[in-house]
Amino acid sequence: MMNSKNILLKYKKTFIALLLIVLTFVVGELIMVGVKGADPGSFLSVNQVLITIKLATFISLFGLCEMIVISTGGDMDLSVGWIATLAAIFSTRIMDGKNQNLLIAILIAIGVGAAFGLLNGLLVSYAKLPSLVVTLAMGNIIQGLINAYTTGIHISGEPSPIVKKLAAKYTGIVPNIVTILLILCIIVIIIIYKTKIGVKLLSIGSNPNTAYLSGLNIKLIRMIAFIASGAIAGIIGILLVGNAGTAYKDMGSNYLMPGIVAVVVGGVSVKGGEGNYFAVILGAIVLQTLTNLFVSLGWGDAGKWTGYGLILILMLITYVRNKRSR
Amino acid sequence: MKQKLYNKLKFFTSKQEFSTIIILLLMLVGMSLLQNGFFTRRVIVSNINAFLPLILLSMGQAIVIVSGGLDMSCGNAMALMLCAMTKIMKADSPYTGVIAILVCILLSLAVGLANGFLVGYLRLPAIIATYATSYIWLGLALFITPTPGGEIVNWFKIFYDFSAVKGCAQWIKTIGSVLAPSVIMILLACTIWFFIGKKKLGRYIYAVGSHDDNAYYSGISTTKVHIKAYVINSLFIMMAALYFAGQNGAGSANIGETLTLQTVAAAVVGGVALSGGKGNVFMAIVGAIIMSLVSKIIYYINVPSAWQSFVSGVIIIIAISASAIYSYAEKRNLLREVN
Repeated sequence: MMNSKNILLKYKKTFIALLLIVLTFVVGELIMVGVKGADPGSFLSVNQVLITIKLATFISLFGLCEMIVISTGGDMDLSVGWIATLAAIFSTRIMDGKNQNLLIAILIAIGVGAAFGLLNGLLVSYAKLPSLVVTLAMGNIIQGLINAYTTGIHISGEPSPIVKKLAAKYTGIVPNIVTILLILCIIVIIIIYKTKIGVKLLSIGSNPNTAYLSGLNIKLIRMIAFIASGAIAGIIGILLVGNAGTAYKDMGSNYLMPGIVAVVVGGVSVKGGEGNYFAVILGAIVLQTLTNLFVSLGWGDAGKWTGYGLILILMLITYVRNKRSR
Repeated sequence: MKQKLYNKLKFFTSKQEFSTIIILLLMLVGMSLLQNGFFTRRVIVSNINAFLPLILLSMGQAIVIVSGGLDMSCGNAMALMLCAMTKIMKADSPYTGVIAILVCILLSLAVGLANGFLVGYLRLPAIIATYATSYIWLGLALFITPTPGGEIVNWFKIFYDFSAVKGCAQWIKTIGSVLAPSVIMILLACTIWFFIGKKKLGRYIYAVGSHDDNAYYSGISTTKVHIKAYVINSLFIMMAALYFAGQNGAGSANIGETLTLQTVAAAVVGGVALSGGKGNVFMAIVGAIIMSLVSKIIYYINVPSAWQSFVSGVIIIIAISASAIYSYAEKRNLLREVN
């Protein structure tokens, strides 16, 4: 029986994330109005909140890729940014501003992403190479492919109108992509907690030995996680290009680190075994709000990176410490 | 007599380092065929100059990896020290160079202690913790130099080229034509590690990297060992930063980003196991040279530079796969011996 105290304890980290968001908005508003003399409501208003969530959506999408991989036991996928960029470049060529090739573009994006995900999964799961170095190197490889493919030629093509509508436009005051994110969140939570494959993912991360003894094929499932991460990254590529209107060489790399940080800030365990996607979304919103704060204060890129690093460390200290005493 | 020779040969070829050295020799042969005058003094010195940052950083990285950690922040830490120094120094005031060096020492201590504290004391996973600190260093470097700039005093060039320093004594210049500052730095780094490796700290670093808990139960303070390993690493990073300052005379915050992964690859190519406790730190120098020669070979066989990232990524994967295959084969051999 869940009384309110139990709910509070169980979702402690989610509540902390929510609290952080509210706090950052309030503090930001106070600083902007009180110290900088801006008009009230320039930082904290319904419009601003919605815009923040819209910007945070892409971080949460990459956070989904990371969460899937991390949940299987602490691996990370550092190549998703480049996979998305590659998928964006391919799909924008195929779509060429019309709707008719949309399905093919989506399939190719998923295919490319899944292919690289398969490579990652083979190297990490079967060859037992460290995921950090493998995915970082794979990112390099994809970056090289992108460079070689785009030397001298102008990246042509445009996203199809449907994609543009979904990714960039609004329905009323709510950005369409936020609606997509909410639907995705519900789907992901159902898959992770209620389907066989989701439960298997979590079990492997939670206790690999027990999972193995229970008959789960750990290597296969871990590889599936990487494939899924790559495929999702491919779709993100299409959405990215729908949002930006065109594809360029460096689309995904700004989202990689925030994606990982969103997972950590959301309280999802970096050692694996947890899959609370809603918390990851909240983590992404916290990050975006902080970025807005830094930008409003005029700190720009430097403040953003320092801030990310510090927040990541703080969250790691709070959640990830190996507190086992000895 | 024949048996003795055969045994000696078997001893050398069975060492893990042997295959790495063979690869290095093959690459040197390949380079000498591709570039006329590869073995002239001028070209060798200019190559060592180009390879130096990676060599120094890889040695530091190897020490950290052997101690059971990883340092994903070395490139950005170097950029931070570089930017701080070039911001402080004013070309017309030689005194600022001294201040810059002091600041660099303090920064390198801060970086090393920070990383060591997070990994050794708080026991955060080294990969993520140093990934996070790398962004802190990057952010701070961007604060200091948002766009590439800065200057150095003239005598700072002793870290790069003796003959470029005004008012430098002639005998130093003649030494410099044989022993470039970069070579001296490598020798210095090797000497430092040679003495540390032989002493207690060296043994402890290998012990802690090999099995953290067992080392602790044997009475070693693993926290201190981790911290010391990271501090030694940041000492080498500082040397690389001094060299960069002398060479370029300006600082850019983004200069270190691609280096970090390469140092990990260089260490692994040099035979250091990512799991810790195994490997020869001096071989990281060989690994760094191999990695750098790969870029040179790409250039000389006229592969377009757009493919560089691609090849670099492939090489890294091949390198860690080879290392994994080797340790797997070694494990199987050990099992066979036991049975």
